[in-house]
Amino acid sequence: MRRRYRPDRTPLGWIAGFTLPALVLYGLLIVVPLVTAFYYGFFRWEGTKQAEFTGLGNYQEVLTRYPLGEQIPVALWHNVLFFVGTMAIQNTIGLGLAVMLYRNPRFKRFFQAVFSLPYLISPLIVGYIWSLLLSPSFGPINHILESVGLESWARPWLGEPDTALPVLILVNAWQWIGGPMLIFLAALGGIPRELEEAASLDGASAARAFWSVRFPLLMPAVGVITVLTFIGCFNIFDLVYALGGSDGGPGGAMDVLGLLYYRTAFEGGANAIGESSALAMMIFLVIFGVSIALERVLRRREVS
Amino acid sequence: MIGRRSGLIAALGTLALAIGACSPGASDGGSDSGSGAGGDVTLEVWGWRQEDAAAYKKIFATYEDANPGVTVKYVPYKADEYDTILRTGLSDANGPDVAQLRSYGLLQPLVASDSVVALDDEVDALAEFPEATLDGARGVEDGKVYGVPFALQTLHVIYNKKIFAEHGIEEPETWDDLNAAFATLKGADVTPLSATISDTWMLPIQQEIFGATTYGGHAYLDRMLAGQASFTDKPWVDSLTTWKNTSQYWEANFQGVNYADAQALFTSGQAAAFPGGVWELAVFSQANPELELGIFNVPPPPGAAATETLVPGYVDGSYGVSAKSPDKEAALKLVNWMASPEFGQAFTEQLRQISAVPEVVPTDELLAEALEAYTANPSPYVTYAYFSSGEPTAWDLASEGLSKYVLGQSSAQEAATHIQQGVDQWFKPKP
Repeated sequence: MRRRYRPDRTPLGWIAGFTLPALVLYGLLIVVPLVTAFYYGFFRWEGTKQAEFTGLGNYQEVLTRYPLGEQIPVALWHNVLFFVGTMAIQNTIGLGLAVMLYRNPRFKRFFQAVFSLPYLISPLIVGYIWSLLLSPSFGPINHILESVGLESWARPWLGEPDTALPVLILVNAWQWIGGPMLIFLAALGGIPRELEEAASLDGASAARAFWSVRFPLLMPAVGVITVLTFIGCFNIFDLVYALGGSDGGPGGAMDVLGLLYYRTAFEGGANAIGESSALAMMIFLVIFGVSIALERVLRRREVS
Repeated sequence: MIGRRSGLIAALGTLALAIGACSPGASDGGSDSGSGAGGDVTLEVWGWRQEDAAAYKKIFATYEDANPGVTVKYVPYKADEYDTILRTGLSDANGPDVAQLRSYGLLQPLVASDSVVALDDEVDALAEFPEATLDGARGVEDGKVYGVPFALQTLHVIYNKKIFAEHGIEEPETWDDLNAAFATLKGADVTPLSATISDTWMLPIQQEIFGATTYGGHAYLDRMLAGQASFTDKPWVDSLTTWKNTSQYWEANFQGVNYADAQALFTSGQAAAFPGGVWELAVFSQANPELELGIFNVPPPPGAAATETLVPGYVDGSYGVSAKSPDKEAALKLVNWMASPEFGQAFTEQLRQISAVPEVVPTDELLAEALEAYTANPSPYVTYAYFSSGEPTAWDLASEGLSKYVLGQSSAQEAATHIQQGVDQWFKPKP
């Protein structure tokens, strides 16, 4: 008889050998900075010199100083809108594409590759290219609108407070649409065909079969994508920075927590290290807390 | 100041800082090689201008010739990363001996951490510098001077001489001339002004260019510093209106025009003028060598506080001595030389910038014109220079407030209130 893989018999040394390099890197690059930021946040700083212990002083300063204190809820709200918009646009279109590719396997590989291609480009470059495309002076998008008689549609897309955030959501979706598509495609492949056949034999319409049979079975994928989208949307920095600069675009219409942190840390004053560490801890707690809550809620809705 | 706004890689800097990596200078321990008695001295001069490295080599060669045994090495870092690198570098002896320091508010963190040496009693030539120039290198708390200012930046309307000539326009002498000129250009389908809107750091610059005479420049600033006037008072609020009234002459869809676009509109000849800093001249000539450039400043509009045409300007940076330098004496001798006309002349010749050393005349004609105009009728860059030593800085507040103002989201009074409310949290007037 062939020896089979027994997870409980794997020697500890092997486990340690395989996980240690990753653990060390994770510890050094994630855990250590996190703990240092937590520690730094309790002190006042004079440039790079650590001054006296201030307890929650930095937290209080960040939350109450004008206009920073007012910018935090605004930025947080923009992150929420960005998340909701991304869920609504990127992930529903991603699901639609996945279903279409699942039903028509011809050229599946090709389209998979095409839709995932923007993944390979840095968000900074994506942002830069889109800001060129959308430029009111030289950009081809307004030029095309004008040449087909839609002059009234041509506008400074990234310069108007009303259009800036929607444009950000669309550009972001353009880049990451391949992610939810691939996850949904894999999940669709994992659903036994018999279930849907049974449903159609019972007289269910195609739509009914999808929503009552297939979609509930996709819930684990929906959960993973929701949590990943949430983390991505709340950590967003590079793309917004490239599209709107560190001030968050026109009148701060695209200001998000990541930019707020950047400005506090790198455009701040003498106590920049203390204040930005405090802000970073608060952002971390929000993302961490909500991610765990989301995960719990979505787990409960999964069909076993 | 341009680079400060764009520095994603600076994020890596914190990471390095957070995991306690060694200072950037540690790998290159050149500076302490000469600390022994009687030995040769190598001075490291750190800066944020990589493009100037070759010119500095020539400039320092003259100094090395006159001071045998001393080697001066210019070590440039990426402008975006420089502030972070310098803060770390100044914290130990392997860092720079002499360093380019940012001016005004951006200098204060280094003063607060005692990283740089006060030069009042060390560099006698500083006594010859105008007070307004020394303000760029002063510690706000103690009033001491921590660097020898090296460059002045002045703000103007830069124009395309050929386009102006084609439409029979001369440099405007009065407010009416200015409006007539812009109206003529607009009537001929030429964009009169290429305004930068979405890169908000350019907004306070344009506000100074068009609004300085309205609020009155240094005279008004003095009253502000003494607590007798504020951003929300009529003269300053009116200066915003004066500026925004020119928006009829800005490019179509200006709301979305960023810095690079505005520069390209001007250098490609689609716009006749560009309101900006004197540093643009070199950039514009490089982008389009055919361009014939001219500069002028905005004459006072009716009801302006000033009767002269004011020229806004400020100190770009200074050279300071690291408190941790093992060769402090040699470093002090070097910055003493940097306050001399010999250095100033070499600086302006090699780098095509305006030297901050008094009496030095730039060889470049336009720079000489800019400096002459500024010296005759100087005006401060209020938000950047004088209200930037606390958090939030008036410069950041002005960028935010003016952005909402030009986009029509707030009134001039609201924009001014935004600045005043932020500054009131830390600014203490000195009556």
